[in-house]
Amino acid sequence: MTYSHTHAAGRRTGTTSRHGGRSAAPVPPQVPARRGPGGRRLLAALLLVGLLASVLPWWLGTPAGSLRTTAATLTAAGRITGLVAGYLLLVQVLLMSRLPVLERWIGGEQLGRWHRDIGATLLVAVLAHLSLILVGYADLRNQSVLAEVGTLLGDYEDMLSAFVATGIMIVVGFSSVRAIRRALPYELWHLLHRSSYLVLLLGFGHQFTHGAQLYKPGPVRSGWIALYLLVVAALLWGRVIAPLAFNLRHRLQVADVVAESPDTVSIYLTGERLDRLEMLGGQHFRWRFLTRGCWWQSHPFSVSAAANGRWLRLTVKVVGTHTADLRDLDAGTRVWAQGPSGTFTAAHRVRDRALLIAGGSGITPIRAMLEELPPGAALIYRARTPADVLLSRELDWLAQARDTSIWYVIGSRDDPGPRQLMSPDGLRQLVPDVARRDVYLCGPPGLVEQSVRALRRAGVPRRQIHLATFEL
Amino acid sequence: MRRAFLAITGLAASTTALVVLKGSPGTTPVAQDVPAAQPVNPTPQGADPSVAPVTPGGPTPKPSVRAGTSSSPKPSRSTARPSGNRTTAKAPTAPRTTTKAPQPTTRRVTGPGVDNEYGYVQVQIVVSGNRIVEAVSLSLPSGGESDIHSGDVRARYNGTGGEVVQKQSANLNTVSGATETSNSYKQSLRGAIEQAF
Repeated sequence: MTYSHTHAAGRRTGTTSRHGGRSAAPVPPQVPARRGPGGRRLLAALLLVGLLASVLPWWLGTPAGSLRTTAATLTAAGRITGLVAGYLLLVQVLLMSRLPVLERWIGGEQLGRWHRDIGATLLVAVLAHLSLILVGYADLRNQSVLAEVGTLLGDYEDMLSAFVATGIMIVVGFSSVRAIRRALPYELWHLLHRSSYLVLLLGFGHQFTHGAQLYKPGPVRSGWIALYLLVVAALLWGRVIAPLAFNLRHRLQVADVVAESPDTVSIYLTGERLDRLEMLGGQHFRWRFLTRGCWWQSHPFSVSAAANGRWLRLTVKVVGTHTADLRDLDAGTRVWAQGPSGTFTAAHRVRDRALLIAGGSGITPIRAMLEELPPGAALIYRARTPADVLLSRELDWLAQARDTSIWYVIGSRDDPGPRQLMSPDGLRQLVPDVARRDVYLCGPPGLVEQSVRALRRAGVPRRQIHLATFEL
Repeated sequence: MRRAFLAITGLAASTTALVVLKGSPGTTPVAQDVPAAQPVNPTPQGADPSVAPVTPGGPTPKPSVRAGTSSSPKPSRSTARPSGNRTTAKAPTAPRTTTKAPQPTTRRVTGPGVDNEYGYVQVQIVVSGNRIVEAVSLSLPSGGESDIHSGDVRARYNGTGGEVVQKQSANLNTVSGATETSNSYKQSLRGAIEQAF
């Protein structure tokens, strides 16, 4: 280790810290049992079967050889994309229903990634549905596409709301394109995204009044309606009933707000029956602080200490107006939490040993997880300046207690030291058995991307790489 | 993002594949007559006529529209070929055995199915000798307003005393408000008549 200019460079196992850390776990914590990728695979398979099932009525109801004209072909393609879009919309809502079983087995981050990818597909499917049907019908009636729009809006029931739904979906879809999304304040974007529930409502009618596969009473129509009811039930359960039960049981409130660094605070929470809180280190909750100015928005933050039965802690970096307000929370403020969620935990390991890579405030879930990983883990903590290093005392204490090696790597991404270390060779040198370890990554997108590339080149299989990025 | 790209490509590819697969047997212009491959199908007694157009892809295309009471003139059991009540798009090999019966027997002839934006239209006529004695719509668009228009079409054209039987041709007056369905009806009827005579 030659990073002599860095703060606390190369601190290793056994280094004693002068102050010791807060003992988060009075009893030696046990390592949680493994949870395989079974849940994720099951859901993926189910969703795929559902997709096939939603197009099946078209296949069965369309006589072979009946698509003789261009108009018929276009209309048929429009119907397929319409069925796909209708189904994907329901999947999108289901993925974001916060259903506890989904949050625990698949995890908010993974669900978010699926939601983003399916969202792009959904937008394309809706646009394809709209344009194919329009062109197909216009061709049938021998009129221009614009005139066809007029006909549909004027003579067809429920089409006005369907067009409005499409408009909302286009706005929601494009505002979620990464570049545009970054330019928008999170709160505005979130509000915009909420309006997609309207799509569910406004797009409902036209499927049944005009959907060639759905207008007639029968198993297809009943099944489609059942799917809607199921998703609404999941939404109610995940967003209303389960959080209500959780918060009535635990009644969380702010106990203390502690500054960790100039722009980071730790919020300590207490509540009732916390010993019965089933939570794994590395998971996150969506927090809603019930004070003026904060109550109407909820944000996901990792818990920065493993469950200990007495208190919870989240460590938050101040980046926006909401996080700035969190510094001024009073003790006793009630907190509404939704969770826990996430698969960024020791339970999702596939190997016996782990390498953790944290960047800046990305240390928080990793700090919590350290308490639950089997001994022998290694941690690389990247930070721009020594002041950005958070919770270092606890980390040192944990390193000692859990037989973990920690390297603090301080400096800009372009400095020679960090650059050399975050390369495949550097990683292999530091952790020779890196390819046989689980790697947990949490930090800014740039660091995560760069690290994943280096890890892949160092021979780490993809399934051993675990990411905790909230970015959608 | 890469997965989204894959998903979108997959969507486009599979939609195209589905449409091509469904459309393939009738891609040639001749397709207009192809479904008529087996013109003379004495329906076994009591059989629901709407079961007749069985597609290879699955069950009846649009089972919602029943042809109603149409088990009129009973076909003589001797000429009945039990396997014959199947009008598939790709069965051109089926033998045309009883096309021109010497004595006036009653035959049922099913026209080609016609798709329009409201649904699927298929017409069957009952022919005795050189006369159409009855017209039956096996399938008409249904749902919402289509029910009303299809009802009008059915009332005007179908039956033993409808416009089809009166005119003995496909030159029917268009039912107002149901132009599209009327046209599809005429098209299917024309196909049936061509096969029958």
